[in-house]
Amino acid sequence: MNRAAVTARTPIVGRVAAVRAAVGDAVAAGAELGRIESMKMFIPVTAPVAGTITAVTAAPGDVLPGGSPFATIDPARP
Amino acid sequence: MAGDRARAALERVEALRAVIRAGGGADKAAEHRARGRWTARERLDALFDADTFVELDGFAKHTGRDYGLDAVERVPADGVVTGFGRINGRTVYAYAQDFTTIAGSFGEMHGRKIARTVELAARCGAPVIGLNDSAGARVTEQMGALAGYGRLFREIVRASGRVPQIALVLGPVSGGQAYATNLADFALMTRGSHLYIAGPALVESVVFERTDDETLGGADMHATQSGCIDLVLDDDRAALAAARLLLEYLPQAWGEAPPARAAVDFDRPCTAAAAIVPDDPAAVYDMRELVADVMDAGSMFELKPDFAPNLCTAFARLGGRAVGVIASNPAHLGGVITAEAAQKAARFVRLCDRFDLPVVSFQDVPGCVVGSQAEAAGVIRHAAKLIHAVCEATVPKLTVIVRKAYAGGYIAMGSKDTGADFVFAWPQAEICLMGPAGAVGILYRKEIAAARSAGRDPAEVRAEAEAQFRARYVDPLYAAGGGHIDDVIDPVDTRRVLVRALAAVAGKRDVHPPKKHTGVPI
Repeated sequence: MNRAAVTARTPIVGRVAAVRAAVGDAVAAGAELGRIESMKMFIPVTAPVAGTITAVTAAPGDVLPGGSPFATIDPARP
Repeated sequence: MAGDRARAALERVEALRAVIRAGGGADKAAEHRARGRWTARERLDALFDADTFVELDGFAKHTGRDYGLDAVERVPADGVVTGFGRINGRTVYAYAQDFTTIAGSFGEMHGRKIARTVELAARCGAPVIGLNDSAGARVTEQMGALAGYGRLFREIVRASGRVPQIALVLGPVSGGQAYATNLADFALMTRGSHLYIAGPALVESVVFERTDDETLGGADMHATQSGCIDLVLDDDRAALAAARLLLEYLPQAWGEAPPARAAVDFDRPCTAAAAIVPDDPAAVYDMRELVADVMDAGSMFELKPDFAPNLCTAFARLGGRAVGVIASNPAHLGGVITAEAAQKAARFVRLCDRFDLPVVSFQDVPGCVVGSQAEAAGVIRHAAKLIHAVCEATVPKLTVIVRKAYAGGYIAMGSKDTGADFVFAWPQAEICLMGPAGAVGILYRKEIAAARSAGRDPAEVRAEAEAQFRARYVDPLYAAGGGHIDDVIDPVDTRRVLVRALAAVAGKRDVHPPKKHTGVPI
């Protein structure tokens, strides 16, 4: 049985400026999954764990509150 | 007698004064009133005793030269009326931003005038009241405005603890001015006003969030969630009256006594207070009604009533003397100390301490809230603020233990060990290191674990042990035996006892060892 899927969340309110992760990508913990434009900065969204991207829930242009789901990672499938 | 040239010069001055007094003009004033708001000068008239306001720097001109400001001869008073007057006969300094004049925007000269008012008040030993109503920084003056905020903050902080500072939010208040309100001792706000670092338009341009004034910085949000506002009033009239009333509990300056009133009916029995606390030790009630009955009739003035209502902070009078009250309120969350409650009370106790208001504490506190949520919220860090403030305060400190006084709650709310001068307990007081359930779980762990093998019901063993613990320790005479409380009093005598205690500590002088300052865990 796989470990539970992990959700990568946006660190701050803002507009999704870039999505770099795609379903099926293998990512390392701390890898940049995308960027949020906020407070005159482009702030990275990072993978909390290593694994495989199973879903990307944010799209460029979306305006999201801080803590919104950005992507889902299956940590059992590196 | 003035000559012709002097007379002509004076006529020119008076003509200009009339222009300045008109602010943004009749149309803008009408527009402002249509929003339910008074003009800056109407507010000052309502704030001060009749015909006592004296304006300073009325002829000061704006410094901005960009974006067409060089073509503007004069922004009346540069958008802020500053000066002094009398409130119930006492000298008070004030500034009032004039929204009718380029939206009361904060420019370089505007900021310099406000900073000077604060500095003057501190130097002359008089309170200062800020009537804030401004679209924010005057963007056309850029660094002039930004530097002005910095200078103002420095003056507010230098004045802090020297004289009382009261900020009123009477319209939009954003950016630097927003910080200024919370650097002051008090922040009052009218319903319909807005207080935020950035308004909806700027928020959308910087973080793309679409929101509105009320959500972002409305009076209800601040009163219940942010804790940035001490009191919300319905309109300008009520807010200005509240500011006048607030001064009744405050001295002119540090080291002076707040105005006293004649002592009245100090032997009055507190029959209402005595009847409020239920027999069931776990039943809730509203502590504010109890405190109101103990204090001089009608003298309670509560601050932040809707933020962390589990711990009430209020000014009141006791035998004519102004005091600060901190009171656990079991009506909300059982009266526990939460992170928010600790912050609120810590700030209040430090306020009382710097302006020589004795602190009267009413305890019915089951403790600081525990559990994973509370720990993650940093309840230790915040409760430490209250402990620090209570230990640090050198003003007279009186404690009444109404019912529960457990663990850190008992200490944080003022015990003899943290410097309370007198501690009195009601007969049903529970003053303990920990509650019976927690204590028995530790003291009788083995007996409870072994109950089954001894053919007994563990619950029964536990209940017996709790009853024994309760009989021995949950009794104010146990704490009194250890010298922790001065007396167990009849609740109806609470007022009598406190009035006498307050008189007995009037000469208290307590000083800390010399140092730069304490490390308050702010």
